[in-house]
Amino acid sequence: MKGKFLVGLSLVLLFSLILNTPYGIGAEKRLRVAFIYVGPVGDYGWSHAHELARQYLIKKLPWAEFLPPAEAVPESDVARFIDRFVREEKADVIFTTSFGYMDATIEAGKKYPDKIFFHCSGYRRDKNVGTYFAELYQIYYLNGLMAGALTKTNKVGYVAAHPIPEVVRHINAFALGVQEVNPKATVDVRWLFSWYDPSKARIAAESLISDGCDVLAFTEDSPTVVTVGEEYTKKGKPIYTFGHYSPMQKYGPNSCVSGQLVHWEVIYRDILEKIRNKVYTNTNLENVDYWWMLKEKAVELGGDFGVPINPKFVSTLKEKKVVDPIFGKISVYDLVMRRSAQMKANPEKFDPFTGPIKDQTGKVRIESGRRATHDELWSMDWFVPNVIAKIPK
Amino acid sequence: MTRRYSNSFLSILVIILGFLAVYLISGVRPDIILKSIVISAFGSVYGLSETLTKSIPLVLCGLGLSLSFKASIWNIGAEGQLLMGAVGATWVVLYLMPNAPRLILILAMFLMGAILGGIWALITAILKVKFNLNEIIVSLMMNYIAIEFVNYLVYGPWKSPYEWGFPYSTKFPLSAQLSRISDTRIHYPTLILAIILAISLYIVLNKTKLGYEIRVIGDNIEAARYAGLDIPKIVLVVLLLSGGLAGLAGVGEVAGIHHRLRVASGISPGYGYTAVIVAWLGRLNPLLIILVSFLFGGLLVGGDAIQVSLGLPGATINFVNGLILIFVLVQSVSKARISYVRKRKK
Amino acid sequence: MNAILEVLKATIPAGTPLLLGALGEIYVERSGILNLGVEGIMIMGAVSAFGVTAITGNVWLGVILSALIGGGMSLIHAFNSITLKANQTLSGLALTMLGLGLSGLIGKRYIGMPLPNKIYNLPILGLKDIPLLGPVLFDQDPIVYISYILAFVFWFFLFNTRFGLELRSVGESPDVADSAGIDVFRIQYLAVFIGGIMAGLGGAYLSVFYAPAWIEGMTAGMGWIVLAITIFSLWRPERAVVGSYLFGGIRVLQYKLQPFGISPNILNMLPFIFTILVLMLASKEISRKKISAPSSLGIPYFREKIT
Repeated sequence: MKGKFLVGLSLVLLFSLILNTPYGIGAEKRLRVAFIYVGPVGDYGWSHAHELARQYLIKKLPWAEFLPPAEAVPESDVARFIDRFVREEKADVIFTTSFGYMDATIEAGKKYPDKIFFHCSGYRRDKNVGTYFAELYQIYYLNGLMAGALTKTNKVGYVAAHPIPEVVRHINAFALGVQEVNPKATVDVRWLFSWYDPSKARIAAESLISDGCDVLAFTEDSPTVVTVGEEYTKKGKPIYTFGHYSPMQKYGPNSCVSGQLVHWEVIYRDILEKIRNKVYTNTNLENVDYWWMLKEKAVELGGDFGVPINPKFVSTLKEKKVVDPIFGKISVYDLVMRRSAQMKANPEKFDPFTGPIKDQTGKVRIESGRRATHDELWSMDWFVPNVIAKIPK
Repeated sequence: MTRRYSNSFLSILVIILGFLAVYLISGVRPDIILKSIVISAFGSVYGLSETLTKSIPLVLCGLGLSLSFKASIWNIGAEGQLLMGAVGATWVVLYLMPNAPRLILILAMFLMGAILGGIWALITAILKVKFNLNEIIVSLMMNYIAIEFVNYLVYGPWKSPYEWGFPYSTKFPLSAQLSRISDTRIHYPTLILAIILAISLYIVLNKTKLGYEIRVIGDNIEAARYAGLDIPKIVLVVLLLSGGLAGLAGVGEVAGIHHRLRVASGISPGYGYTAVIVAWLGRLNPLLIILVSFLFGGLLVGGDAIQVSLGLPGATINFVNGLILIFVLVQSVSKARISYVRKRKK
Repeated sequence: MNAILEVLKATIPAGTPLLLGALGEIYVERSGILNLGVEGIMIMGAVSAFGVTAITGNVWLGVILSALIGGGMSLIHAFNSITLKANQTLSGLALTMLGLGLSGLIGKRYIGMPLPNKIYNLPILGLKDIPLLGPVLFDQDPIVYISYILAFVFWFFLFNTRFGLELRSVGESPDVADSAGIDVFRIQYLAVFIGGIMAGLGGAYLSVFYAPAWIEGMTAGMGWIVLAITIFSLWRPERAVVGSYLFGGIRVLQYKLQPFGISPNILNMLPFIFTILVLMLASKEISRKKISAPSSLGIPYFREKIT
């Protein structure tokens, strides 16, 4: 309600502003938007996905001027990049797209109070610093359902980047899915300590396979794990994989079952339009935190856009039946679709992190019937019981 | 003399070819790149302040390396020594004496940083002296080990309980944060320390017995042996000091810039490696190193600028660094060679 | 048992880029030149092989070109250290920086790009059915087989041919070799060039066969480990085989050890700690057997007659 009022008010303001300027609409000052990436834009994962969104917005938002992005900016240097964008390039809005940029973004917010900053994946905000995140745990859970159905060895592997809450949360969501369909299956994890390192990802994937895992999910910004799965499958040892972040089905047409896809453009567009319409200003971002998932269409299930499940595996998933307390006897394929629909509903009718959920030590972390709060999800540092790995301490 | 000219010609050719390569690959004109680097690094008060900030760790690492190189000890481990210095400072602030008064705390941080940096280099020294290992490889391996060690700390035992499980140490209290010049990031206590140390090192190298011995070892190890110098001891001392200086740079970075320990790549973007060129370009002369560090600080700042303004990848600066090193190399050859020819003629 | 075989099988490709690089560096150092630029050459090999393969779709064209680029790049070092007699350490470091920078610049457009065709393993019929070792050694990709052959060839040439003899004598004592009528500069240039080719190949293997992907800085210290293996091998190609697979094995073992609760960061240190330990062992062996590094290693050779 308040939002709509503000939109209306700001539209009126904007309109009067336009009428007052001598050159009319053409002279509207274009919003100068800067992006700072932690990886190279071609990493096929995180930074790539943000860059795809930026490219999309260049086409869709003619009233904004998108500055060339700064890519592969080390955490130690980001403060200077922000300074440069503000002082030399006269940016109005700056998106800092790595968790490691958090402190520097907050400092910059204090240093340049008339500019607007949005920090991706952090938890500190300020009156001119908002945060945003396209969250994937629902999709990981859906992938987990399929993984549980497909494993024959009851060993599911997960190649993980860094042991930070985001990754821990995704592993847990995935394991909860596995658990729901196949209570006997366990999830084993190998840590890479790198967001992007195909050769490490390969060794880790092969190590999991040699330990008996026949389904692999991962958090690493290359299609390596899918490629490894495809190689083994072709050699007659089927390994099922789930793509991560970008469409990866093409790397493993016989191995990649599904995966997680992200649509940053949805969030960016919303933010920029609200800034343009003065809904967001340099004084009211203290509580602006995007935490968008399926229902906002910020994320998508699938190994390729528009392909939630690789057709090759649909029949297997349709044959595999499980008994759900609510749906009754249901195929895993249908279960995935139902859950997906439930989570797309507004408000969500289902959340994977609904209690009772215990951790590996048997301690109840989320009580029966309660959904995990944002903060609990955000700081998750424990594994659910069917994960057999440990979080490095 | 013709040879000298031909070498100058050669080194200019290297630079021209290099820039031509950048042009062919990226399509950006070299003169625009150069202009952009110079203007962004030195063209404004802000640019200058950033250049100065970046030059602080370069001076300290460069001083340390020059000391080693002077003795012909190829310490390439400044990066790891810097990181261990950062670990030392964090240890003091967060665990050893968190409640000490400001002055004592800061002194203790620098001291511990120097000690840990020094010890890290000392390992290389001991392996060189006792096992005759190649110090280049060992010091490089020690860099990789230090990187993993810092990451181990921030992901493990030193992970802050207040950071939602993310890999950060707890933030340093205000008493442990070095002062900065107004709203710049120049943490001047480290800068002053660096300049004082550069002058001291200049005096040590040129006016003391130790300095003399270091130079003898560096110029001619056989002569040093013949003169009965205790070479192992000097190697140990040199590397201890060398690592200590790099360790101070690490203290400056965590206490002056980041105010916490974080993953290694967040603390240093490779100052320890850039410092190798700084030391060499500064002809291993501590005073010249200050100047060269400032120029290289500018190059690093400019390197970021060309990313933002020209869309060139950050790695371009590595390439430019490599070119400069070859340039220096070819230049230094002309002198060495001429003196060699002179010797032969005698 | 099966798990052990799987580890061994994964070890071979993990060690192959190291083996290729080390074989080359052995020849370089045998000729008395120290090339610390291996890391830079490897990464240039990696980016050029990947780029050419991505553009032409032909892996072998990529591999050949990376070898040539590696060889060509090493000539910079050869020129610096043989012709100019410049400081070899610095020249090598410069080459490494140059390679890391230039590869980043060239490789920018290849990041995240898939290769049009992936080379799969080529099991060798007959050999692959040897119990135990068959599947480990002979169910690999073509470059692995080539590396076996190259290891043999490098060993054979070094110890059984006139070229090998000349190479060794140049490294031991260029003065003596020169007076015996050996063209010292030619041999050194050739050795450095061969070293560059092999480092380039090692990089190509990494980006086109092993990963397969281009990542900025993907060699991640392998070039330096190659130098350590060269010392560990006591400059003998057959020992480089052992050394390379040892290091490959460590890399694989890291992930096998993770479930035992050791911090992955500590495990990540293993290859580097292991390098130092191996160097210590090699150093003991060197002093015990009174072996020495090629005695003119790293020292520029000036002919007596200066023209």
